[in-house]
Amino acid sequence: MNTFRERFPGLLPLCCSWVSGLWCVLAGPTAVAQRAPSTVLDSVQQLPNVRVPGVRLSRFAVGSRDLTLDSTALAPYRSGTLTDALSARTPLYLRNYGPGQLSTITMRGTSAQHTAVLWNGFNIMLPTLGQNDFALLPVSGNSRIDVQPGPAAGLYGSGAVGGTILLSSPVQWGAGLRGAVQVEGGSFGLRAGNLEGSFSNEKLALRTSIFYRQTQNNFFYHSPEIGGVVRRRQENASLWQASIAQDLILRVGQRGEVTAALWLTDADRHLQPAIGAANSNAQQRDQSRRLTAGYRLVGTQHEWAVRGAWFEDVLDYRDDANGLSASRVQTTQAQAEHTWNFTSSASVRVGAEAQHFAARVDGYGPTPLTEQRYAGYGLLRYDPWPRLQLSLNVRQAVLPGHRVPLTPTAGLQWQLLETERQTLQLKGNASRSYRAPTLNDRYWRPGGNPDLLPEVGLGYEAGLVHTLTNPPAHLNWQTELTAYQQLVDNWVQWTPLATGIWSPRNLRQVRARGVEASTQFTWKPGAYRLLARVAYNFTQSEKVSGTVYDTDPTNRQLPYVPLHTAAFSTDHHWRQWEASSTLTFTGFRYTNASGSDFLPSYFLLNTTLGRTLLLHPGWKLTALVQAYNLTNSNYQSYQNRAMPPRYAAASLRLAWR
Amino acid sequence: MKPFFAFSSAPVRVLLGSAAALSLVACDPDSDPDPNQAITPTKTVFVVNEGNFMNSNAEISSFSKTTASVSPNLFSTVNNRPLGDVAQSMAVQDSTGYIVVNNSNKLEVVNLRTFRSLATINNLKLPRYFAAASATKGYVTETISYSGAPGQVSVIDLKTNTVTKSIAVGVEPEQLLVVGNRLYVVNGGANTVTVINTTTDVVEGTITVGDSPNSLVLDRNNKLWVLSGGNVVYNANYTAIDYTKTTKGSLSSIVPGQLTATTRELATNLAQPGRLTTNGAKDRLYYTFQGGVYSLGVNDANLPTTPIIKRSLYGLGIDPQDNTIYGGVSNGFNGAGKVIRYRNSGAPIDSFDVRVGPNSFLFY
Repeated sequence: MNTFRERFPGLLPLCCSWVSGLWCVLAGPTAVAQRAPSTVLDSVQQLPNVRVPGVRLSRFAVGSRDLTLDSTALAPYRSGTLTDALSARTPLYLRNYGPGQLSTITMRGTSAQHTAVLWNGFNIMLPTLGQNDFALLPVSGNSRIDVQPGPAAGLYGSGAVGGTILLSSPVQWGAGLRGAVQVEGGSFGLRAGNLEGSFSNEKLALRTSIFYRQTQNNFFYHSPEIGGVVRRRQENASLWQASIAQDLILRVGQRGEVTAALWLTDADRHLQPAIGAANSNAQQRDQSRRLTAGYRLVGTQHEWAVRGAWFEDVLDYRDDANGLSASRVQTTQAQAEHTWNFTSSASVRVGAEAQHFAARVDGYGPTPLTEQRYAGYGLLRYDPWPRLQLSLNVRQAVLPGHRVPLTPTAGLQWQLLETERQTLQLKGNASRSYRAPTLNDRYWRPGGNPDLLPEVGLGYEAGLVHTLTNPPAHLNWQTELTAYQQLVDNWVQWTPLATGIWSPRNLRQVRARGVEASTQFTWKPGAYRLLARVAYNFTQSEKVSGTVYDTDPTNRQLPYVPLHTAAFSTDHHWRQWEASSTLTFTGFRYTNASGSDFLPSYFLLNTTLGRTLLLHPGWKLTALVQAYNLTNSNYQSYQNRAMPPRYAAASLRLAWR
Repeated sequence: MKPFFAFSSAPVRVLLGSAAALSLVACDPDSDPDPNQAITPTKTVFVVNEGNFMNSNAEISSFSKTTASVSPNLFSTVNNRPLGDVAQSMAVQDSTGYIVVNNSNKLEVVNLRTFRSLATINNLKLPRYFAAASATKGYVTETISYSGAPGQVSVIDLKTNTVTKSIAVGVEPEQLLVVGNRLYVVNGGANTVTVINTTTDVVEGTITVGDSPNSLVLDRNNKLWVLSGGNVVYNANYTAIDYTKTTKGSLSSIVPGQLTATTRELATNLAQPGRLTTNGAKDRLYYTFQGGVYSLGVNDANLPTTPIIKRSLYGLGIDPQDNTIYGGVSNGFNGAGKVIRYRNSGAPIDSFDVRVGPNSFLFY
């Protein structure tokens, strides 16, 4: 086994500072690794002196659906990845090539490249592939995940076509020093550990989170062979991964705020071969280094912010037949914006951003390659009456070679009913979205197509939100129903040309439409607390027209987009006990464009049982047992990639305050 | 206090509606059971569907020439298991079929009358094509790796279905053909044909042909024809094919026993010819080139200049009984491929859907 130092050469001084219990001032380049103002919220409510809170980006996301997984909801997944949390807690379908293996998302019937993932306001999609592998994003790196389905390129930029995932770590000011250490062990050689620490007073907030996980993944699966079904152990699927996250917010004077954040992730995975395919000992190393820094000045009417980010993404693939294929991309981003709060009911934000990509990718040839993208945006939030909220966001992106149409989003929220105990709200928005061609789409040799047009989506959604509170009965019930439709044009697909070379082209128009229904119920009658959530998605996504080069049939559900998905979760707390269960349903998915083959639908049931002991004042010890795939379902998320049978993990967590 | 449940009707309805939708609508589609058709010698065409790399969705389809019925998932329907990852080719010896499953590193041996599995020969190294020399002896070409190192031909005992010997040949060996007591192997990563004595299983010589040979056939005059794709060279930036350095495809003929070839170059290097095949009388050759199918007589002085079919075909086969041309259409490997049947003149007859990437045909 590699040592920690081997995996993070040069980074040990950073983490030892916490380990020794001292918040050393971070020296060197990491000292300016500053956390940008969060896209989501800045919790300044607890300041005794009056401080004007900054305007959150979500204030301009009027009329959209939003699901938040906060630190409580994420607690069972501390040693997992976004794949684990999202696929257990939401009806989102993540196409998974095996446990811990490549895992990509589909939101609202679109492809993996149509979900933007933003970390502290910056897009962290891998620029080469234009998508994120959610198995490479450990939950521990951030304390909050927001899922906003639907097009919102006006707010979030390229790729926010099917939806957006926002990662952030909101601060609780004045919370003092806290820390926790967690160890976990489980089936198939799972060993994991977390170390977390945070400190905040009224001026400074710091958070460190270190995570490590390794697994052999040598689970049993059923392999149909000539003599019948053989029980085999999965081979070539072991992996380790690690993450270090460090956030810093420093208040400067009464109005200023310096933010910095660092997030390093590293994963070394053997790639699980398909059932029946030869094991070519494929292995992939993914490393991402992410730094942001920003400064914000908040006045009563005006707010200025500048922030920068520097990312480096390394993806090295190798196998026996092809040897090594290496890629390294550095992304530098800068954003500047000004917000003007005319009145308490009207805000305008104007801003600009620039992105610079520098790629050294074996597939692009020997010389490094650069690309610049720019965008300007204007966001308006206006509440003409307390019950009516409106927003209008526009973004104009500038991409090399091709003009992108203006991408506006108009949103509306209208409180139709508001009584003491219940509210009914109408939500709606219309949005044009875009996706810039990826670096691979443009520069891969041979086949890269520099003439690709950006994909453009035009979507609408409308929904109702009903809330019911009954304080005497300690009940809270929120139900939301949304219907949407979106047309995505210039949809890019790689197909073989007449020369036999595979090349991406703008081939088709895809129409995605569906219904999302969810209801969340909380009940706190006393020592017992219950949180139950049911969510169901109906997603219909079909090619409606295509060019002459597009041989895929029309009006057939796109591959790997399930028509039906559902998630049902319950969380119970009673005195020192906690228990939870998640049950998800994934409907059948076609595995190809003609719909001639499909993977059957499946249910997955996971449960958790835990107990917390109060040791000393301030010290808590939590023991947690987690069981996965309790019904021992034999299922596949991606064609012929084995998934594990029933398995379990147990963890111990010692937390101080 | 208002009764709590008075307000819950809307959410409950949503909930129940969703549950109902889930239970009623969420049924999986019916897997179309393949027609339980009999496989009749001389009346059945097998289609090799390559499948998608690393999806283990290779499949053999069968087409009945008498009823025109298609069994798209023949192998998995009969054997209740997937065939494997990337079916490269299929060959026959008596009534036994040998399916070369490239990225599963195996040969699947089936009884062609029932399509039931007889054996799996594992642990090959990226196998490509199979040919039998007799009822007891077969050969399979293996790439081993794409690093430029030589490939090999493995000798298979067809009684025990085991590898008895491996013979080093050229880089990326592709199709192979037994003529008398010689085995001819085209080396796709070079410009050579390796000749192996099938009595001793020793290499007896190497014949130089055009660059990147991919296929070979024997004609009625017992002459060997080797089709070479030509060496495709990319420009320094690897953004496009450099046609000043790319060599033309070529057609070579070899008289068995001799270690020399007569080679004719094709008209242009803008495309790479492939899929050389013959008609039933073995007096005509067919190959794919420049988005079409070209044909020539074995005694023709000149290579053909116009195609008989103007369509880019991924797979090509000629029914030896009636010379019907079978073309495989890959549809971008994104879903079901298609087989188009043509009269020998090139006029289309009909078509049927198969599985992903139909690359070749076996007329049984």
